Amino acid sequence: MNWLEQHLLTCPLKHLFGIDCPGCGFQRSIVALFRGDFQASFNFYPAGIPIVCLLLFTIIHLKFDFKNGALYIKMLYIAITLIIVTNYIYKIITHQLT
Amino acid sequence: MSEEQIDPQETPQQVQQHPFQPQNGGFNGGFNNLQRPLPNGTAVLVLGILSIVTCCCWGIIGVILGVIALILANKDSRAYHINPALYTEGSYKNLNAGKICAIIGLVLSLLTVIYYVVLIAKLGFGALSDPDKLREAIEQLK
Repeated sequence: MNWLEQHLLTCPLKHLFGIDCPGCGFQRSIVALFRGDFQASFNFYPAGIPIVCLLLFTIIHLKFDFKNGALYIKMLYIAITLIIVTNYIYKIITHQLT
Repeated sequence: MSEEQIDPQETPQQVQQHPFQPQNGGFNGGFNNLQRPLPNGTAVLVLGILSIVTCCCWGIIGVILGVIALILANKDSRAYHINPALYTEGSYKNLNAGKICAIIGLVLSLLTVIYYVVLIAKLGFGALSDPDKLREAIEQLK
């Protein structure tokens, strides 16, 4: 786990400009989730937990083929998109980008 | 949507609900009881979802995944429309979900790439190598 934490990929935008990109915080969020710290995970990146849920649900759906599985995936996907966009706009407004 | 309400159970029933339809694919003879999933349904769904996960930091990857997913999806949906009785309905739903995911992911990725390009154009490449200049440029933007 520590190894994982020290080997996160660096975001090119962050590296070049020092400004967060819309996906910054996702990896930290996943690490926090692995540690079982949901609160920290949400604070790092609100869309982190839904994305993990979506991936897990997709795997299960592909295996067992639920009746409305595809519909749920679509809904969850749209929700995640909204979360990401809202989060980024919120960050811009509150000047948390740097 | 209406098909969803009709079948309460899974594939075995579904197969019976789509009896052989000669007008749709007469050349298939009586082999339609063996419906199979669309060849790329799963791939499209997975690619579409991955396109949003990778869209943010590395916009280009999201664009590539989204485009691949869309091409595969179009190919498969054409195959399905030519001969709907041949493929399972669940896989077609998966395909459609994957297509929508791919479209959203593609749009987001494109927006990210455009955002990158605009930032680089505004701040200039000269600012990249010089942290002080960069900070000034960013201050001016605000």
